[in-house]
Amino acid sequence: MEPTEGTPNLTPILDMVFQLITFFMLVINFKSASMDLSLHLPVVGSARPVEGQTDLLILNITPDGKINVYGIPQENIENYIAREAASTLLTLHRDHPDLKAGDELPTIVVIRADKSTPFTLLYRVITACQQQGFRHFALKAMNKSES
Amino acid sequence: MSRHRKRRKQGDVELNLAAMLDMAFQLLTFFILTFKPAPVEGQISLRLPPPLPIDAGGQKEAGEDTTSKELIKSVKTLTISVFAEPNGSVSAYGIGEAPVTTLSLLDKRLKEIFGAPDNPFEQVVIQVGKALRYDELMKVVEVCTRQTLPDGSKLSKLSFVEAAQ
Repeated sequence: MEPTEGTPNLTPILDMVFQLITFFMLVINFKSASMDLSLHLPVVGSARPVEGQTDLLILNITPDGKINVYGIPQENIENYIAREAASTLLTLHRDHPDLKAGDELPTIVVIRADKSTPFTLLYRVITACQQQGFRHFALKAMNKSES
Repeated sequence: MSRHRKRRKQGDVELNLAAMLDMAFQLLTFFILTFKPAPVEGQISLRLPPPLPIDAGGQKEAGEDTTSKELIKSVKTLTISVFAEPNGSVSAYGIGEAPVTTLSLLDKRLKEIFGAPDNPFEQVVIQVGKALRYDELMKVVEVCTRQTLPDGSKLSKLSFVEAAQ
């Protein structure tokens, strides 16, 4: 038998790989980069996932009371929150020029605190937010335990 | 049976897909390796105004005297106390001056208070022990947010204050 030259048809495999790439691109969640997934959130049965909120300030609070921003712990909590409030105020100034520092801000402060964080450290963060005009808070929790 | 290869006309271009497939596999590997599904997290939404002193007699407006450091005393504000052990667990609960032994009893008492037709309370101040762990606090917050106000809305106006040890 004469040896024959065979060229595999790569088109179907390429199609399949592109479909897989499309799937992974669609399910990739860039939002999770701002969340510190090493924190153990408390389990609260009535906590419900909420979608569609855009104006958020996510605070990852470690058991020693530090705020983790993209993995970098912020030493001075009050300064960090003041900076965030100033930048929010700057953005809001376009539509509300009469808004001044300390006025109520529409941003929702998302508190992702470790379940073992003592209240006194959490209270320091909440008070700092309130002083800067943040009033709307969302306390994050898991609605079933991770196992 | 003999097989005949199709003769290509001169000038026909055949795309080499192997290079594209290599690149596509590299992209696929990257996405597979970086894929980490984020856990579905729930939240309890609250409006947390800073605790402002209110005169019980109704002679002053809320927030008029912001220099006062005293705990809110108002007919419309219910104070719940949660005291902590040094290890962060709950040592005792209280509603106003009355001690409450368990969380389920706290829920029951709050249901009685908020379910009464003449319920005067619109907001809750939670006085919390400094060492109390966040998960223990969340249990109390959950109980509070379950309560329904006379207008049918859920209680979401809470304030926190630190309890003196």
